This record gives sequence, C-alpha cells and structure tokens, in this order.
Amino acid sequence: MKISDLLKLSTDNLRRRKGRTVLTLIGVVIGTCLIVVMISLGIALNQQYEGMLRSYGDLTKIQVYNYTYSGGGNNENAPPVLDDKMLETFKQIPHVIAATPQYQPSNLSAQLYAGKGDRYQTYFNVNGMDPASLEAMGITLVSGGYLSADQTTTSKNKIPVLVGENFGYSFEDTRKSYNSGKRYVYQGQLDANGNPVPPFVDINKDKMILRMSDNAENNPKTREYELVVVGVMKSDYNAGYFTDSGIVMSIADVKKLEQAYQKLTGSKGGNSYMVSSTGGLMREKDNGYNNVYIKVDDVDNVADVEQQIKDLGYKEIQSLSQVREQMQGQVRKQQLTLGGLAAVSLLVAALNIANTMTMAIYERTKEIGVMKVLGCELGKIRGMFLIESGAIGFLGGVVGVVISYVVSFIINNLQTIIMFLGLQNQQNGEMGYDSMGMMGGGMMGGASSIIPWWLVVGAILFATLVGLVSGAVPANKAVKISALEAIRRE
Amino acid sequence: MNPIVRVEHLRKVYRVGKEKVVALNDVSLGILPGEVCCIVGASGSGKSTLLNQLAGLEKPTKGKVYIGQHEISAMTENELAKFRQAHLGFIFQSYNLLPNLTAVENVAMPLMFKGVGRKERTKQAMAQLKRMGLAKRANHKPTEMSGGQQQRVGIARAFVLKPKVIFADEPTGNLDTKTTRQVLYRMLAMAKENGTTFVMVTHEKDLAGCADRVITIQDGNVLSDIVVDEETKAKNRAQMFAGVEENLVPDEPVAAQPDTPDTKKSEEK
Ligand SMILES: Nc1ncnc2c1ncn2[C@@H]1O[C@H](COP(=O)(O)OP(=O)(O)OP(=O)(O)O)[C@@H](O)[C@H]1O
Ligand SMILES: [Mg+2]
Repeated sequence: MKISDLLKLSTDNLRRRKGRTVLTLIGVVIGTCLIVVMISLGIALNQQYEGMLRSYGDLTKIQVYNYTYSGGGNNENAPPVLDDKMLETFKQIPHVIAATPQYQPSNLSAQLYAGKGDRYQTYFNVNGMDPASLEAMGITLVSGGYLSADQTTTSKNKIPVLVGENFGYSFEDTRKSYNSGKRYVYQGQLDANGNPVPPFVDINKDKMILRMSDNAENNPKTREYELVVVGVMKSDYNAGYFTDSGIVMSIADVKKLEQAYQKLTGSKGGNSYMVSSTGGLMREKDNGYNNVYIKVDDVDNVADVEQQIKDLGYKEIQSLSQVREQMQGQVRKQQLTLGGLAAVSLLVAALNIANTMTMAIYERTKEIGVMKVLGCELGKIRGMFLIESGAIGFLGGVVGVVISYVVSFIINNLQTIIMFLGLQNQQNGEMGYDSMGMMGGGMMGGASSIIPWWLVVGAILFATLVGLVSGAVPANKAVKISALEAIRRE
Repeated sequence: MNPIVRVEHLRKVYRVGKEKVVALNDVSLGILPGEVCCIVGASGSGKSTLLNQLAGLEKPTKGKVYIGQHEISAMTENELAKFRQAHLGFIFQSYNLLPNLTAVENVAMPLMFKGVGRKERTKQAMAQLKRMGLAKRANHKPTEMSGGQQQRVGIARAFVLKPKVIFADEPTGNLDTKTTRQVLYRMLAMAKENGTTFVMVTHEKDLAGCADRVITIQDGNVLSDIVVDEETKAKNRAQMFAGVEENLVPDEPVAAQPDTPDTKKSEEK
C-alpha cells in the first residue's frame, strides 16, 4: 500500500466527519494558542528584565569585599587579605579577564591646582586601578590612551592619569567669594547667549599640580606632583561615577602618593575606621582593599567564578547576575505556572483527540475487519489512524500558531488599538507629543509578547506529537480487532 | 493432482462461559485446484466455522490447514495479510462494501493494499466491473445499489487480484432466486475463466448441484464428500441457468439495448 493512498484514506475519513474533526481541532487550537502565547509572554518578560539589568550596569562584573557580616571582627570567619597577591590569584581563575580595586586611599589628602597663581582648585580624589583592567572594566575613552602598566611615574614628579570628560568642572575659582555664583561652573551651564560655559580648566591643555601639605601653621612642608593626562574617559555611570569627573591612576602610583603623604605628615597609614560604609564591621588588622572588581568573560560564567571566589573564603560577593538569576527564576516560575495552565488545556485537547479516534474506530470496526480480510497489513491500519490523529494535532498546531500571532499582535499593540478605537480619553489634551512617543516605544520599551521561530516549530511539533500519542491507544485497539468479529457486526 | 486446499484433523472448540461448543470435531478434506466446491449442511452444523478456518480468519483449536504449500493455520496476522493479498479472495453474505467508496473504488481496494498505482488499479477494477455488467454503476456508492448489484461488486472485488482460491459464505443468502442464479452464473463463469478454486458455503441444495464437489457437514464432522459426475452436473447447470444467459445484463452496457423489464425490476427493487 502506498503512502499517498494511506494519506488519502485518512484525509477522506477526516473530511467525512467534518463536524467532529473541527470540534476536536478547536480543542488543539486553543491548547496550542494558550501555550504559545504564555511562552511568548515569558520570553518578552525575560527580555525586558535583561534590558532593565543592562541599564543597571555590567552583568559580567563581580564585586568582592574584604569583610564579612556574619563573622564580625571574629578572625576565624574573616576572609583572607584582599591584597595585590590575591588580585593575581583572582586573575588565575578561568574566565576572569581582569581584577582590580577602585582604590581610594583613606589616609591621603591633597589639593589640585591649575591656572595662573593656582587660581583654580579642587580636592584630590583618586581611584587606583590596575592599568591592565581599565578597558575590561568598561572604561571607554573620549581621547588619548589607557594607562599602561609600565607607564607609571614617568619622571620623579610626573604622574600619568586618566580623567573624566567633565573633570574640568570640579575646579572652583578661588578668587571669587564663596557666595558668588561665579565661583563654580557646572556642566550644562549656559551663558546669556545660550552657549555652554566652558569649565575653568581645560583638562587637555592646562597644567595640573597635585600638592600635599602637613598643614603646619608655620612654614608648612609641601610636596608637589604634576598630573599628566594621558586619556580622557567617556562619562559612563555603568563603568563607575569616576568616569565622569574623577581621576584614575595606577595602584602603584596611588600607593606611592600615600607613602609620600604619610612621610610628609608623619601619620601612620591603616585602618582609621572600623565600620564600613555599608555597615559591615571592619577588622582592625589591615585586610587589604575594601573591595575588588572582577570582570568575567561571559554572563554564563559569572556564577561559576563567584563560586570559586567563595571557595577562596570570601563571603560578601555582589554581582548583577545574582539579581539576574533571581529575576530569571521568577520569570521561570511565572512561565511554569502559565505554561502549566496551558498544558492542562492541551491535555484536555489530547483526551478529546483520543475520544474522537476511539469513536471513529468504533464506527469503522466493520470497515477495518473488511480491510483486514482483503489483505491490508496491520501496520497500515495503525498508520491510517495515526495519520488521522497526527493530522488533527498538526492542523490544530498550525492554526493555533497563526491565532497566537494575532493574539500576540493585539497584546503588543493594545495601546494603539485602544487609541484607534477612541477609547482613550485621559490623554487627549496632550496627544500630539506624549502618546506618539508611547506608541513608538510600547510598554516598557519593548514588546510584551515575542514569538521566536523555534516556538512556532516547537508548538507545531508538540501539537502533532500530542495528536500521535493520543491516537496511539485507539490505533492499537483498531489493530487488535478480530476481523471475523468485525465483519459479523452489523 | 494435489489438493490446493488441504485440512488435517481440524478441530474447533468455542468456549462460551464454562461451556464448550464443539463447532468442528475432526475434519479432514482436500479440494483440488480449479474445483467449485460447495459446503452444505444443516444450520449450526459448522459450515461457516470450517470456511473461516480454511480462509485463516480464525485459528483452529487443533489440526492444520494448508493452502498450496503454506500452512496458514500457523501464520501470524501480518503473514496472513500478505498471503491473502497474494492468493485469496472473499465474498461475503452481506456484501461488506465500504460504504464511503464508490463501486470502482471498492473493487480497486485489494489492488491498493497491494501497492498498485491509482490509475492502473482503476483500470483493472473498471474491467472487472464491466465483466460483472456494472460499468454504469462504477461511480455509485453501495447505498445507491441493489443487493444483487452490491454482491456483483463484491464478486468483482474478490476476483480483481485473480486469486488462486476464493471463499464465499452464503454469497447469495440475501438475494432472491432469480438474482441468485444470475450471481452464481457469473461467479462460476469467472472462476472457470481464471482457473480459480471456488469454495462456497450454501444452504440451497440446487446450488450445490452445480458444484464439482459437495462436502456435507453434520455436527462438526464431514458427513459426505462427493465429487459430482459430469453428467449430473451438466444437467443441473442447464436446469439452473436456463434463461439466465439471455436475461443477463450485458457485459458491455449499450444504451440502445435496455435491460428487460424483468431484470430491471429485480435489480432495482
Ligand atoms: N464465535 C463463536 N462463539 C461460540 N460459538 C460459536 C461461535 N461461532 C460459531 N459457534 C457455534 O459453532 C457451531 C457452528 O456454527 P456455524 O456458524 O459454523 O454454523 P453454520 O453451519 O454456519 O450455520 P448456519 O447455516 O446457520 O450459518 C454453532 O453451534 C455455533 O453456535
Ligand atoms: Mg453459517
């Protein structure tokens, strides 16, 4: 028996029982549609979360702290010292591309000067970072180049630095009184003609002097360094606030300045405070950098790297991927609940198919008997019924997917559609500007229902499979019918 | 000549609840190739049971059934299906045409199971229908045909594969005398033409008279197994088919030559 004949027999049978076939189909259509729409909602939700997270910052960064909440000052529970040696250990962990603190020395105070007669002045605030990590940490440059490892203090008193693109605005004019509006220039300030006011200091041209002092009342001792701007960082809060108006130096240079300051003032370095800004208890003993940033090559490896850092003894570890996992977990839970509901409806559809096929077999018992007596092989009889049930599943799946697209379109364009129907009334006044923007952006800046191609293929395959599986039992029953009894039946 | 259908000590016992019904006790027989064989006997004697065993529709409780070299009583269902496709034909008392197929599609069905293409099998089925005088009815559904016409479609279906053996259980049981004679005439003619062995269960004594061999069953045993001599046979047939030949619906229907009123009446009642 040819496959084409088998197919024709099956489709003829389906067509003959049109009403029942359609009713059975509707069940599958609803089931498929529900599943597809539910999953599409989940996918869209996930994408929105991802987008949201990306706007929060870099997903591949891990922050490691040198203290623990749980142990307090207790030595046994404390993590190992977070020093340069440990940084090297971190860098050895697979998938880690960079590890650096953003070291802000606690025992160093100095001023920066620029302009004639040190007219412009600002407090010296520095971030000591591993030069090799700058690019990996997401710092991008407006001009110039990154610091390089061998490019530390060029001559004795010259220190290479990166500065934020708006660093110039942090200077104030010491000639103006504190009450004068002219003492400061802030970013985005416009003059009378509407042109932006440039900062007092041009970071690309003006010479900047770092001066520290022991603050003695008479004849204070000072030390001076010149900061050489090798690159200007693009302001990007995801990479760190310091990229806007801060200074980045190599760790080595920061430590050198720190030592110089201690020598100058005679103050001992170390842990002058015991409680961290986040409330964690600090240990009295020097435990290295307060925190260290680690960059991982891929989001999927973050959890792995985190585990290895935990294994080193660090308890306080933060990363956005933890948040991401939580979010994903939530989405998954939602998807499971929604998908479960949808699955129940498809289960009902499956029972429906089984019922339809059982009835079909009951009706056609005699026919099956005759076919058997006339030499139709058992496999073909089974095949005939499986094709019928499979076709119901397949057709239902296809129609279900098509309807899902319609539903998805409606969900995604709900606002537009509502507006089109003239149902929206609150925003009528300011329609021109506001709602146009909303139309373009949609909800939360993305579609609420996304149907990728694999969902389409998967749904149709699944529906077909449901058809085949629910047809299997009836088809086997058909095969087992005794030809003789079937023929005798009226 | 070796028998084409051979039965050795066949026994069939049905179990109804706790009771045993011995439908066939101990039957041995042989039917020669090309023979027309009638199985007769009282109601409940076991004729249908015997035929079903011969055709492999049921497994015997004991004993063996051979068709040619093949022991069909030992075959699996799938082997039997193949075997039927190749060698056996069936005619049922209640026609058993598929109600949703046209006459020609019904006749072509065994060919379809065998894997013959649509065009070829329609051609063969058409030819077979023509020989049964049903060319005009080729595209009719069974419900649109009389009993006699349906049985002719059934006969065409049984013969379309040119099988070695055809089994028929009271093929004329639902037809009136006149139609019975016509149908029987065609069956015998076709069997002769193709050299088909024809095994038929019947109640009617005069039908049996036309057979080459008459096997009488009583209470599950063979009461008699008689090869009818040529003379008696010829006489019986002449008597039986007198006037049938003239009244037959022509093989090739011609519009200008309408059926006799008599035939028409019996066919389309
Ligand atoms: N499937 C069955 N289950 C139980 N008993 C059966 C079955 N088929 C037949 N019999 C019994 O076997 C015996 C023979 O039945 P069978 O149908 O062969 O008779 P028959 O000669 O064909 O009769 P008839 O001329 O009325 O058709 C009967 O007593 C019948 O009751
Ligand atoms: Mg009978």
